Amino acid sequence: MDAAIGIRVNDGVIVATSRACTRSITILKPDDDKTRILNEHNILAYTGTSGDTTQFADYIQGNMQLYSMREGVDLNSKGIASYIRHELATSLRSRSPYQVNILLAGLDKGDAPFLSNIDYMGTRVDLPYAAHGYAAFYVMSLFDRHYRPDMTLKDGMKLLKMCKAELDERFPVVFKGFQVKVVDKEGIHSSELE
Amino acid sequence: MSGYDSALSIFSPDGHVFQVEYALEAVKRGTCAVGVKGEEIVVLACERRTTLKLQDPRTTPSKINKIDNHVQLAFAGLSADARILIDKARVEAQSYRLTLEDPASIEYMTRYIAGVQQRYTQSGGTRPFGIATLVAGFDANDKTPRLYLTEPSGIYSAWKANSIGRSSKTVREFLEKNYDKRMQEKKENAGENEESTGLNDDETIRLAIEALLEVVQTGAKNIEICVMKPGKTRALTNEEISNVVKQIEDEKAAEEEKKKSHRRRD
Amino acid sequence: MQVEYALEAINHAGTAIGVLAEDGIVLAAERKVTSKLLEQDTSAEKMYVLNDNILCAVAGMTADAGILINYMREEAQRYLSVYNQDIPIETLVRRVCNVKQGYTQHGGLRPFGVSFIFAGYDDRYGFQIYTSNPSGNYSGWKATSIGANNTSAETLLKQDYKDGINLDDAKKLALKVLSKTTDSSKLTSEKVEFATVQLTKKQPSLKIWKPAEIEKLLEESGVQDENDDKEDKN
Repeated sequence: MDAAIGIRVNDGVIVATSRACTRSITILKPDDDKTRILNEHNILAYTGTSGDTTQFADYIQGNMQLYSMREGVDLNSKGIASYIRHELATSLRSRSPYQVNILLAGLDKGDAPFLSNIDYMGTRVDLPYAAHGYAAFYVMSLFDRHYRPDMTLKDGMKLLKMCKAELDERFPVVFKGFQVKVVDKEGIHSSELE
Repeated sequence: MSGYDSALSIFSPDGHVFQVEYALEAVKRGTCAVGVKGEEIVVLACERRTTLKLQDPRTTPSKINKIDNHVQLAFAGLSADARILIDKARVEAQSYRLTLEDPASIEYMTRYIAGVQQRYTQSGGTRPFGIATLVAGFDANDKTPRLYLTEPSGIYSAWKANSIGRSSKTVREFLEKNYDKRMQEKKENAGENEESTGLNDDETIRLAIEALLEVVQTGAKNIEICVMKPGKTRALTNEEISNVVKQIEDEKAAEEEKKKSHRRRD
Repeated sequence: MQVEYALEAINHAGTAIGVLAEDGIVLAAERKVTSKLLEQDTSAEKMYVLNDNILCAVAGMTADAGILINYMREEAQRYLSVYNQDIPIETLVRRVCNVKQGYTQHGGLRPFGVSFIFAGYDDRYGFQIYTSNPSGNYSGWKATSIGANNTSAETLLKQDYKDGINLDDAKKLALKVLSKTTDSSKLTSEKVEFATVQLTKKQPSLKIWKPAEIEKLLEESGVQDENDDKEDKN
């Protein structure tokens, strides 16, 4: 029942993840963080089988940190997206594949807003907006109708608010609202919907 | 060749492991590196070989390397060896984070690095690493500066200040003489209620540079400085280093002048 | 000690020179022609393309070089398959140097008896030249030389190299230095190998020159004329 939503706008990228950490029909935690900061301008959000998700996200985070240490330079967003896809595709063909879906948000080369949707099968698509989980069924139509390529972060947040309102209205499952993170020229920071 | 110094490390009858001693020799031939702990910071200072005219300064690797966000390592000795050891340390730092969800302590990283160095002195078919390292940084949620030294033999130790590489003995003697002296001076100058426990930031940087100037005659352009504060690591710019060097030189000159005029009076 | 012997072996190998220009890189190398019967037009034996953005010149034991070149080509492809972009120059250089270092530290094997000049382009630092030697050290250069007479070549480069030099001047400089350090009196396409790195449509393009092209370049550069003059005077 996890949700992860990403919106790429003119001056950055917004990532929202559901705050509820659930197991079966129980909410274990109302303030879960389903993101990992990879380097100065890149963050990933995940959904999927719990355990798999954190293990995989931590692994990617560790390797991206290691890359930065070794190279003295952060890997760019496109490179990270390829790397994650490569890891998931390799994992899929192993005896116990990770069941994790990823949204990668960042500024490619610290400059161009970038959003990539990667699923556990190793499908990667770079998109202006994307979502994982059941929430995707509700928010995609909103994006299709309201998204404009020239939107700013402020517009993006408004659109995200519409998503939240729609989910509150139609979605039967409590997900404890969104945790929102924004990537822009200044780096990565938390943001509030209200 | 006596056979006790062949490619594998073995004990000679009088208890030496020649390979380790050769490694120490390689360290002594390396460029000098200094580490100094202050009250709130730890400083690594390195001698930087003059870049040749045709060398590309941008793409020539540095002697001070980041192991993790909170750990820096300076080395003296064979740089190709250092690269390998540094890479092992970097991998360990991240792997530690993955399993423990916390950054490794500076002592742990030092112990790991020294452990690798030790293994290469003993296990079959390898030669020891021809480098000594200074490991500096801060533990997580802790403001105490840390400074350690590792040697090719795999020994490691904690220091207030120390140096490795070319002429490290001279520099160490300088530090031994001046570290305590400055602390003493500070204590005397401090007022009744003030509590002075260590060198402040500028004093620490200064002492490190002064120490390095004992072996580096060519001034700021051949010095590289890394200043670590909790959660913040920064390399000093050439200009900042020049300023300190100039200050030191000016004061020295003034002292000389004073001595001279004293003598004249006598 | 083994490393020092390996270095010695390289000092007898044909000279190779690299010159970094504002808009590209030139590599030039001297090939020692051992017999007239040797097939010449099978071309380059000192210049190798490693990846879409990197090539190298070799000095030392060619068979050893082959192993490392193979390794580097594979490593470049591995990087491409994981990150979907060309491997940065320094990353590749560092990886091959780690292999070289390993052979100096682990017992039972001798070090690789080769030095390289790497020339390439990436969007991190633009055009770059690196050299590496058997000990596993590497460093970046504006102009450099490996192999026989490398010290005199470097002295000549130091005299004539200017920051911001363009590719055409770099070609001339490389040939000029090579002609002065070579043992034979005259440079010919049989004795010279030549390669360039450039940008075409913002993408790096590599070229290992054909004998006919080298011949033409030698003519145009006027290097031979200078040498001829010298001989006349003598």
